Amino acid sequence: MKLRLRIAAATVAATVPMVIALVIADARARQHAAEQELYRFTSERLEDPGERERCERGQLSHEGPRDAAGPGRGPPPHRGPPDGPPPPPPGEGPPPERMRQGPDDRFGRHREPARLYGYDAQGRAIDADAPVLAAAEIAGLADAAMVSRSTLWNAGEVEIVLRAPWPGSRCAIVVARGTKEPWLGAILPPTRVWLAPIAVVLLAVVLAVGPFVRRIRRLTTAVERQAAAGYAEGEAPRPSGGDEVDALARAFAAAGREVQAQLAAKDRRERALREFLDDTTHDVMIPLTVLQGHLATLRDGGTDAPLDRATLGAAMQESHYIGSLLHNLAIAAKLDTERPELQRAPVDLGALVERVAARHRPISAQLGVALEHTVPEPPRWAHADVTLLEQALGNLVYNAIRHNRAGGHVAVFVDDVAPDRFVLHVLDDGPGIAAAELDAVRERGVRGDAARTRGTGGRGLGLDIATRVCELHGYALRMAAASGGGLHVEVEGPRIEPGR
Amino acid sequence: MPQRVLLIEDDHDLGRQIVERLRRAGYDALWWTQGRELESTRVPEVDLVVLDLMLPGVPGFELLEQLRSRSEVPVLVLSARNDTGDKIRALKLGADDYMTKPFWPEELLERVKARLRRPALQRDDGIRVGGLLIDPSARQVRLDGQLVALTPVELDILLVLARRRGMAVTRKQLADQVLGAADDRALDAHVSRVRKKLAPRKVIETVWGIGYRIAEDDG
Repeated sequence: MKLRLRIAAATVAATVPMVIALVIADARARQHAAEQELYRFTSERLEDPGERERCERGQLSHEGPRDAAGPGRGPPPHRGPPDGPPPPPPGEGPPPERMRQGPDDRFGRHREPARLYGYDAQGRAIDADAPVLAAAEIAGLADAAMVSRSTLWNAGEVEIVLRAPWPGSRCAIVVARGTKEPWLGAILPPTRVWLAPIAVVLLAVVLAVGPFVRRIRRLTTAVERQAAAGYAEGEAPRPSGGDEVDALARAFAAAGREVQAQLAAKDRRERALREFLDDTTHDVMIPLTVLQGHLATLRDGGTDAPLDRATLGAAMQESHYIGSLLHNLAIAAKLDTERPELQRAPVDLGALVERVAARHRPISAQLGVALEHTVPEPPRWAHADVTLLEQALGNLVYNAIRHNRAGGHVAVFVDDVAPDRFVLHVLDDGPGIAAAELDAVRERGVRGDAARTRGTGGRGLGLDIATRVCELHGYALRMAAASGGGLHVEVEGPRIEPGR
Repeated sequence: MPQRVLLIEDDHDLGRQIVERLRRAGYDALWWTQGRELESTRVPEVDLVVLDLMLPGVPGFELLEQLRSRSEVPVLVLSARNDTGDKIRALKLGADDYMTKPFWPEELLERVKARLRRPALQRDDGIRVGGLLIDPSARQVRLDGQLVALTPVELDILLVLARRRGMAVTRKQLADQVLGAADDRALDAHVSRVRKKLAPRKVIETVWGIGYRIAEDDG
């Protein structure tokens, strides 16, 4: 159902029962007032001399229509101005004098004179054309002066039963038939002018809803257009005022912006993932090809050939490199997001060093490089992302091993510089880094494409990740030429107490 | 009696390799190829569990939780995901250590050995290492039963290294503990004198870049 129709229907649904209730109340009030008036009039009339005889003769209702004073018998009906004084509340009725002088005030529109019929005590009619009395009505007179015979919807007529005031007479019961206001006038004004405000209110409601409906339609169109345009910029619904419709428009605009932002972020993530996959594929294919070459060389040696240890070692190095590369690429993808998140937790630095040493001992043994490590006693703890820190330290150790030579040494251990500061040391006696290059690395780190190439000088992606991990943690990464040649890398950061 | 290791790993090739390696290293290896409800299964009597987190059947984390609620057995977690959240969760659930794939077989054995290492017996009569018997309370050192005359500093050096035998001690830590100051040159001189007094036995090793170590007795 349309909004406008719904509001109109709701207004009608609220108005109609109220009007009906008022009309019913009005009808009751009119009937009550008319019966009271009729009772008073009849009582007075029956006091007139000769009425008893007339009743006993069955002539009570046979007098001429304009003969005596009585309802409807007076001067021609006087129609009061439509907006005349409101009728008195039911039960009060006008004073009897007025009734006698001008019943037209009250019964102005009565066309029929009041008619009276006489009955004996058993309710048998004396008049020939008298209506039949019900037993209940006779019984009702026992404890009431008057019993109503009227019905609410009998237009214009009231009938009452009352006791005749003559004890011992044959005429014991009188039925009076009179008229009442045929249409309204007791509570509601007799004219229908009161319908006008109701109609105006209905009209106003329907008219006032119009602009709202139009604005909501416009808003709907705008939102649909925006959705159809994939929440592109510039299609958002524009608010124009300060009411609820505008609040809705603003809410839609805000929702649209949020959807735009989410879509953009999703696009960025997808792009990053695609790039990551491309880079990974590219970077892994090279060492994998080298590994396949080594394996092929081993195979070509034949089953009887002595084991080609050099080729086997090279193949192991490639496979270790591939594993390390994959971890680094995964971490690089994490670090490349706009706001890399650290999942910090207490990290036992000794255990970290042990894991890194265990990880690299097979490959260092293969290369003839002695990898030494020690863990501090008692353990030292840092608040760090263990995956990132382990990968960073692993990269530093792996670089130290790879760039060393057979018979060389690498040492990795934890030390304190202050009661609340730790230092991770990675020390080697390899060729080290040339002073100029070291300065360059210290100044800006190894970034971008250069980081991806693995060459002699390019400590590459591994060092880049170590640098960025330290930056993220707020740790200092220092590189210096070691005293006996080679490189000494330190990572310094704050210690925490265990259990925190 | 060999120590028993339970491996829970669904990949058959990797599982077979690991079991093979463990057996060759002298362990009694038991292998489950999927996670099992421990409600219905008795916790097997093993000295170590090697648990892969990505498992068919009962997931690794759940199994770890069930295991931990019934047993104190050390658990070494294996995972292909190098994810901090997984590691934190595994450690919180009671794992003792974790390893990320890929790994070298030697690496796994070193981690297993580290977890199964029994605390060295501290005998009443002192620390026995490399033919030395060090009595900390009497502050005496015997080499093949003969008392060795050592200065207090020299004895302290031996004590510090012997208490952490198998693990290198950095020069700085050693100097701090025995000399009360970081004086590498003085420390080296003291160590050199101890070595002479213990010759021809080579009890104290130099560890490149770090410091000194007394090797653990193999036997």
